[in-house]
Parts: sequence; structure tokens; C-alpha cells
Amino acid sequence: MLTLLTLYSTIIPISLYVSIETIKFIQSSQFINKDLNMYHAESNTPASARTSNLNEELGQVEYIFSDKTGTLTRNLMEFFKCSIGGEMYGTGMTEIEMGVAERKGIKVQEAKTSTNSLREKGFNFDDVRLMQGAWRHEPNHDACKEYFRCLAICHTVLPEGEETPEKIRYQAASPDEAALVLAAKNFGFFFYRRTPTMIYVRESHVEKMGKTQDVSYEILNVLEFNSTRKRQSVVCRYPDGRLVLYCKGADTVIYERLGTGNDDLNKVTRVHLEQFGSAGLRTLCLAYRDLAPDLYESWNEKFITAKSSLRDREKRLDEVAELIEKELILIGATAIEDKLQEGVPNCIQTLSRAGIKIWVLTGDKIETAINIAYACNLLNNEMKQFIISSETDAIREVEERGDQTEIARFMKEEVKKQLKQFLDEAPQYFCSPSGPKLALVIDGKCLMYALEPSLRIMLLTLSLNCSSVVCCRVSPLQKAQVTSLVKKGARKITLSIGDGANDVSMIQAAHIGIGISGLEGMQAVMASDFAIAQFRFLEDLLLVHGRWSYIRLCKVVMYFFYKNLAFTLTQFWFTFGTGFSGQRFYDDWFQSLYNVIFTALPVVIVGLFDQDISSSLSKKYPELYKEGVRNMFFNRRIVAIWACFAVYQSLVFFYFVSLSSSTSRDSDGKMFGLWDVSTMAFTCVVVTVNLRLLMMCNSITRWHYISVGGSIIVWFVFIFVYSGIMTRFDRNDNMFWVIYVLMSTSYFYITLLLVPVAALLGDFLYLGVQRWFFPYDYQIVQESHKDDADSINTPDSQETKEHLTPDEARSNAISQLPKEVSKHSGFAFDSPGYESFFATQFGKYVPPKAWDVARRASMKSKSKPK
Amino acid sequence: MTDTDRGTQRDRNSAFYLFTQQNLPACKPVLTPEWVFMTFLFIGFIFIPVGLVTLRASHSVVEIVERYDIGCVPEPFRINKVSYIQDDSIPKNCSLSFKVPKYMKAPIYIYYQLDNYYQNHRRYVKSRSDKQLLHGQNQHGISSCQPVEVNNDRPIIPCGLIAWSLFNDTFTFIRNRAELKVNRKNIAWKSDREHKFGKNVYPFNFQNGTLIGGGKLNPRIPLSDQEDLIVWMRTSALPSFRKLYGRIEKDLDVDDVVVVHLMNNYNTYSFGGKKKLVLSTTSWLGGKNDFLGLAYVFIGSSSVTIAVVFTLLHLLSHRH
Repeated sequence: MLTLLTLYSTIIPISLYVSIETIKFIQSSQFINKDLNMYHAESNTPASARTSNLNEELGQVEYIFSDKTGTLTRNLMEFFKCSIGGEMYGTGMTEIEMGVAERKGIKVQEAKTSTNSLREKGFNFDDVRLMQGAWRHEPNHDACKEYFRCLAICHTVLPEGEETPEKIRYQAASPDEAALVLAAKNFGFFFYRRTPTMIYVRESHVEKMGKTQDVSYEILNVLEFNSTRKRQSVVCRYPDGRLVLYCKGADTVIYERLGTGNDDLNKVTRVHLEQFGSAGLRTLCLAYRDLAPDLYESWNEKFITAKSSLRDREKRLDEVAELIEKELILIGATAIEDKLQEGVPNCIQTLSRAGIKIWVLTGDKIETAINIAYACNLLNNEMKQFIISSETDAIREVEERGDQTEIARFMKEEVKKQLKQFLDEAPQYFCSPSGPKLALVIDGKCLMYALEPSLRIMLLTLSLNCSSVVCCRVSPLQKAQVTSLVKKGARKITLSIGDGANDVSMIQAAHIGIGISGLEGMQAVMASDFAIAQFRFLEDLLLVHGRWSYIRLCKVVMYFFYKNLAFTLTQFWFTFGTGFSGQRFYDDWFQSLYNVIFTALPVVIVGLFDQDISSSLSKKYPELYKEGVRNMFFNRRIVAIWACFAVYQSLVFFYFVSLSSSTSRDSDGKMFGLWDVSTMAFTCVVVTVNLRLLMMCNSITRWHYISVGGSIIVWFVFIFVYSGIMTRFDRNDNMFWVIYVLMSTSYFYITLLLVPVAALLGDFLYLGVQRWFFPYDYQIVQESHKDDADSINTPDSQETKEHLTPDEARSNAISQLPKEVSKHSGFAFDSPGYESFFATQFGKYVPPKAWDVARRASMKSKSKPK
Repeated sequence: MTDTDRGTQRDRNSAFYLFTQQNLPACKPVLTPEWVFMTFLFIGFIFIPVGLVTLRASHSVVEIVERYDIGCVPEPFRINKVSYIQDDSIPKNCSLSFKVPKYMKAPIYIYYQLDNYYQNHRRYVKSRSDKQLLHGQNQHGISSCQPVEVNNDRPIIPCGLIAWSLFNDTFTFIRNRAELKVNRKNIAWKSDREHKFGKNVYPFNFQNGTLIGGGKLNPRIPLSDQEDLIVWMRTSALPSFRKLYGRIEKDLDVDDVVVVHLMNNYNTYSFGGKKKLVLSTTSWLGGKNDFLGLAYVFIGSSSVTIAVVFTLLHLLSHRH
């Protein structure tokens, strides 16, 4: 019995494993690592596959978890636009605006860059009305002056290096601040020196065109930025004694504190803010207030007491600040572009067309995260947004009472309530096909409660129904928790992409981890499975390499299954004719070499070279990726079909050959023996199985012909030698001269023509019917592009080139743009010390940053050193 | 453009570049209905003629099959055939006669056919020693010959079950009271005679044991000339098989009556095997076997049918 069973061991051969490993290794080391579409020339970084066994999973990703800073964005803030006194300045166009324009079919015209505009990292602004002192001729030049002074004075930036505009470097707690100060410099208000009590600004064009003067402002108080206040104020004294409070902050808080009058200006500015917001820009409002000296003195006393109080100092400081930050006069608004990595919005859009859901997990604040989500096309105004935030008044109230258990209980209740409400709401949008898409925004604190076992299911159900999810202020641990929640809960292939040490846990938690290799250290790359230089390379990695690898591997596995089943079943049918004694149909060597030599190479070639459609088409039709996500090429139906044909073919192999050789097949009347019949059958199997491989190829290179032809030739060479030589060493000489005996008969040739054709007829019919009556999506694409010229020498670099130059200004196009207005006004500002927050949680030492010094300096100025 | 920075035109056309960029020149066949149709039609047009030629070859063969294993047992022993065949005292000769249905051109091949005889059973197939057959008794590798390997501590030549069970019915043919000469030379494949059976190996102690199996061999003739044994030892693939017995080198005319005197020695009764005598001429494709021809015609005609049906389906349902 055991002898009988060992005959069928060839169904799952060891060579399957070896071939697959070979294929995957070459795919990753030669194709992924050397793809020029994924090579980043500026940093000289190619993509690198650090493991070779996830290639096919790249073709089935359904959820992408992405870090923000360094992955989606460059962590580079650029002053992009502004609104001063009700007038909007700035001619640039963000990528998202260009995307909108493209979708609406408006031609984006390349505006000529004015030659005199300054180009500097962090300043991407161009408008002749403001530059080079031209603002003096604007109708609202007073507002401009206040605006620039506010930019130059209201901040906690430290200048470094030589005090010339070219050499100076600004050290800032947040890149936003640096960008603002840099903007002031470019507008002609050059902040060059800070002392504990003074700020020195070199102002140009103030008195008259071309004249510069150094002005020193005395800094009296700094009211710092924090997440509740969402604003920052500086009280300063002009050299002429004028006392001014400059304030910048979120539109909501500033508008609450504006004085009466100027409603027109406020309204216009709000419209501008909303436009900035929907364009994905980060906005801040600027305002000022002239202070009467006696009013200031009385307030300053309160401030000093608050500052020196021992209990609840922060809270009391906030209260005191409220007293003076009112009756503000709005100057205008800034719009800073959180510079996205190249091609990110396009890439994200392509990926979502491919049915991939992208989640942003970031340590940033909720506003920043939403802003970036807007800039990346992940959120837009048509979406129904569910926001679960811990920054609500109710929660803040409870927090102020300070009872930890009470806070926890309350927050949990709150989160549960919201989840339930959203879950009830969701189906009404989700069910209607034309309804808005859903988006979920949740912050770290709420996430902590939502991830508890009792609420986890609700969170998962809700978030799986959303087309995009943004998690902000999350710790590295939470990133990993969210990832594994989806990985385990949704049972879909997940992919994490990140660049920094705080993404390592997330990268490890997902099925596939991708590290952005480049600027921020190597930890993420070390923990990852694949390393790429830019987020946009995901498109190539998933849609091209992933898809191909998946399809190829499916083919390889199915083909292996088929060829061994067909081969082994011939043995099985033979068993019925041997009284189940376990006699082998084939010679031992045939059986061993079948997988190792006679059918080994072609399948590897398919695993390497098969392309259903070209790479540019793969990217042009991202929807094809869904076939991989749904696993359409490797499911029970496919296995069953292959199995059916394997059974059919094996019947043909065995019965055609054995029945036709039951009489003499030689004009000399001699009879065949067992080994003649089995050699005949084996020859048919080898030829058929190799030809079947050609039938399933979508593209046939000369290597296909070489390997398929080679395999068949190798079989004949082998059998010529094997049956032609007899040595004295121990061997079975049953096989001696068998092939020559066979080939001396015309029967051999007649059968060799009949059996493969008869065996493959069923497969061929199936392929034809399937393609024509039940085609896969890729087959339709193949057919519609059948007559396209071969795009061998024109890789789609032209396509990429178009969005490679977002830096160029396109002022004409902007004027044609429909102005989109949303409730989202785009406030975002990074408060200092964010990176160190998580670092200290993980017990890591973070060196003190320059802005800590700046803050200390500003503390000192508050007359009471500690 | 990153790629132009990195290499000259020559590099970009090199095989390795095309390989890593997955841009190797390839033909991309798309299986359009026209292709399916043409292929099926092509197969049909090739296969039907080939099938007809093959069938014609098969039909040109005249074959006579006579079963004799039951008819040759005398009436009283029909209930217990095994006792008949095992009883040496009962004479085993038997005769049957048949009329030739069609003109048979010489050479006419004589086969014996055994049904339900598992010559491909694992233990049977391996019970032989190729070395001994070629080199004689001084060779030691006879362990594979179990259970028939030694007699009186000397290896049996030839050893093993296959040889032991050698078929030993004999046939003589008489037409019009004159014996038809049967040529029993050159009935085995040349390669077997020359390379697998030794010229100096003599079956001196064959079938001397207590349990006699089948036929005996003349101990004075070397194995390479014992063609009956050589034919028998090329084991068959299926449990129903024919083996060549000899050749009649005279034509047989229509309605010739041929009488066969045979010695019904071989015991197939104990396992229910059938024995048949076959006379057959040959064509260029061997004996009478319609299978190949029918298969060809069937495949060919169904291809044509499929081609027609597929075209009709295609015309009736427009996909795009």
C-alpha cells in the first residue's frame, strides 16, 4: 500500500519550492532593484527589495498605512500665497489645484516665471505686486507694512550665522515659523538678530523706495503657542514708543477676538482662507492691536503674577492672555504649502482608483493631518467626514477637573457614543452608490479608547466602510495597533510605508513594510521589506511589479500543479491495470528528472517574463489591480479548471497510448513491452506539458522558445543517451534501445502528433471561449491595445515629466480656476517639541533643540528670570 | 528623465538592460476568435486525412482470433479445469480449425494472446536478473529474482518469476493436409537478442525444482538464441497482451481451412486467464487497430464542428 502511495509523491515536488524561490529572487534582485522608474536620481537611490518572498503580495495590497512627514511630505514648508487687507497675492498653483483643473478639463498654462523673483528653499512665492518694494504702490500698503512686520516680529525663531540675507539661517521650532520669517526677509523685512529683549529688523522700502534702515523692536511679552490657544502673540515696543500686540493663529480663534468694524475685510479674508484650505495650504491669520500704555501696564502686572504662580501656571497664563488678545484688527492671512513629495497626489489618486484604501497615520496634529489629507486628495469637500477628536469642549472640561479615572471613563463613553452615531449614519451614505464617500478622522487619545476590545469591532466596521482614514497624534505603538487591527480584522493584505524610527513598529506589523530610503536615518529601511526613495514609486512597485509578480506566481503555481497532476495521474490510471501492485509506469529516472530537467526551465521563464500588459498600461488602467486584490487568478474555480484539464489530459496520455499499442505496431509483427509504452507516453507528456506552457503565456520572448524547445530537446537527448548506452554497472536494462525501437516505427510519429493535439484541444477551446465570452479585465485591455506600437523604447518618462515641475508658476491658470470654497480653512501650525514627545515616551534621549533656547530667551525677557 | 542620465544608447539596448527593465522584445499573441477558428479548422484539415489513411491501413489487415482455453479442455473436466491442467497423465493435445475469411498475404504473424494476465505486476516485473541473463551464473546480483532464485544452492539460470512462468503452448498449422511451416526465428527485437541475453549463458538447471512453472528450455542452446524466452521476458504494459509466436511465410487464400494442433500446456485456469490464438497480417502501421485512425478522425471532425459552432456563437453575440 505504501509503495503505491509513494508513486504519487510527484504531485507536490520539491522543485516547486526551488523554482518559486528562484523566480522571486530574480524578480526582486533584478527587476525591482534595477527598475529605472523607481530610481531616484537626485539622491542616487534605487529601490531595494530586502526580502524576496513578498513579491506576489505586492499585487494584492488593499490597505496602505502611510506616515505623513517624510513620506507624503518633504517636511518642507514654503510660503506660497497670502492675503493682505482683503487682497490675495501669489501666483503659484498647488498640485491639488492642478489636479482639479485637469479634472475639469482646463488647460494649465505655464506662466512665465518673472526673472526677478527670488527662489529660496522655504519661499515659493511670486507676485510682482509685492516683491522688490512694489507693495508701496498697492492701495493697502499700510496693511502690507503691518503684515510684514508681524511676520518679522511675531515668532520664536533664532537667527544663526552671518547677518546678511544670503548667509543667515533660521532655527525654528516649527518649519512654518521659519517659512514665515523667511518670507518677511524676502519681502524686505530682514530679521537678523535677537537678544533676550530685542528683535532687530532691517527694513527696506519703508520710508521710500530703495532705502534700508535697521529698526530694533523691544519684545515685552511672548504669549506662546499651544494646542488649546492655537495662537501666538508678541507685545513689542517700537523705537518710537508705539506699543503693539502682534498675533498670529488659527482663523477660528483670531476671528473670535477681532474687534468690531471691518466686516468687509473679515469676510473677504475668510473667503480667501477657505480657498487656501481647499487648495491644501496651511493657513494662519495675522492680526494686531495697538495698546495704550496704561492698559498694557495694568495687564503686564497680572501677567507677571500669573507667570510666577506656582500652581496651574499654564492655565493662568492662558487666562491672562485672553485679557489682552481681544479687539484685534485683522491684517491678513498666510498660506504655507506643506511641500508634498513629488507626485504624491497623482500617485494616491491612481492607487485609490486601483481599489487601494490609504490610511494616514501621523503624529501630527489633527489640523495638519486633515490639511495634508486635503492636499493629497484623500479628503475633499464632497466627502462625508466623521471626525472623532478629543479636542472638544466637553472633554476639555472633564480634563480640567483632573481626575484621571473620570477622564478615562468620560472619554470612553464619548468615543463610544460617537462611533455608534457614525455607524448608524454610515449605511445611508454607503448604500447609495451615488452618495458621498466616507472619511474618518480620529485622534490618538480617542483611538486609545476606540482600540479597546469592546469598541474595536465598531471602529473596524466603521473604518472599513470609509474610503480614507486619517489618524492623527498617534504614537508608534498605536500605528502598529491600527495596522494589525486591519490586518487581523479585515484579513486583507496590508502595507505600511514610513521613513522614520517611529514608523518601525507599523512597518513590522503590516504584511508588507516599506521604508522610504533617503534623508531620515535607516531604521525604517532596516525594518522594511522594500525600500524606495519616494512615495510615488509605490505606483510602480504595486501596480507594475506587484501585479506582474502576482500574476506570474499564480501562473507558476497553477502550472506546477497542473503538470504534476497530469503526469502523476497517468501513473494512477496505470495502477488499475497492474492489480494495484505499485508497479511504476515510468522508469525511475523519468520520474525524477521530469520536474528537475524536462519541465523545469520554461516555468521559471514564465515566472520572470510573462507580461499580460505593458507597464505603462498597468499604470494607465489601475483598476486592473483589483483582479489581484480579489485574488482572481488563484481561487478554487481556477484550481478546479486546471485540475479538470489535468485529468482529461492524463486520460488522453494513458489510454490513447496504451490502447493504440495493444496490437503490434511494427510492420515486422513484433510487440511492444511495458517500457516501450511508458516511454511513448512520457514523450507525449513532456511535449504536451511544454506546449501547454506556451499556450498560457501572454508574451512570448525568444527565451520562451529556447526553454520550451530546449526542454523537449533535452528529453530526447537524454533518452537517446540513456537507452543507447549499457554499462557494466548495476542498472536496469529494461530501457535499453527502447527509444530506437519506438522511433523505428511510424506509429511513434503518428501518435506523437495525435496525443498532444488531442490533449491540448480542450485547453485551447477553454481559452478561446473564456477570452471571448467571459473575459478578464486585462484581456479587454490587451485587445483594445493590441495594435498599439510597441512601446519598448519609449518608457513613460514623458508622462512623469509633466508633473515633475510643479515649481513653475501658472498665474493664468489660476484666474481660470473655479474658486472652490469650503468650510475647511486649512489652519495648521506645528508647535515645538513634537518630535521629542514620542521620543521621551520611548525613553530616548533627544538633544535640546535651538528653539528651546529661543523660548528660554523669551522667558527671560518677561522680567522675572527663574 | 532619469534613464537618459544613466547610460548611452548602446547600454539601453543591451540585453541585460532590456531584461532588468522587463522590456525584452516579445510577441504578444492575443487569442482572437479568428485565431481560434483558424486553428480548429487547420487541425481538422490535417487530422481527418491522416485519420483516414491510418484507418485504411488498419482495415487492410486481416486478423483471425480464436480463443481455445475452454474449447481445449475435454468435456468431463470443464467443471474443474485446474485439475485437468495439473494432471500430467492426461494428454494435452487439442486441435481447432478455422476458415480464412480473406486473402492473407505472407508473412502471416502468429500470436498467442493472454487476457487477465498481470505481467505488469510489481513483484512479477522485478523478479528477474538482467546481469545474470547477460553474464551467466558467476554473477551475484540475483537477489531480485525472489521467489525463484536458487536450486540446490546454485542459482537457477535464468532465475526469477518471469522466466519461470514461460509460456509453453505449442502450435502446428495444417492446411490441406500439408503442414504449414512456421518460422520461429527473428521473433524478438534485435536489441534484446544481442544486448540483453548472453551468448554464453546456458539454462542448464532451469525448471529442475519441485515446483514446475511454465515451459522448459533446451540447456544446450544459449539464452541469446532462446527467442521464446526473450519475447516472453519483454513484459507487457497491460494485463491483456499478445506475444509473437512465429511467422507463416505462405499466403493463405480465402476459404482455406486451417487446422491447428496445439499442446494446451499452459495453466491460465487457476486465475481465470484466457488464451487466444491470433493470426494477423501487418500494414505499414502494424496490426489491426482502429483506435488511432478513429481518434484522428474524431479529433479532426470535432475540431471542424467546434470551429463552426464557435463562429456561429461569435456572430450571434457581439461582446463589445
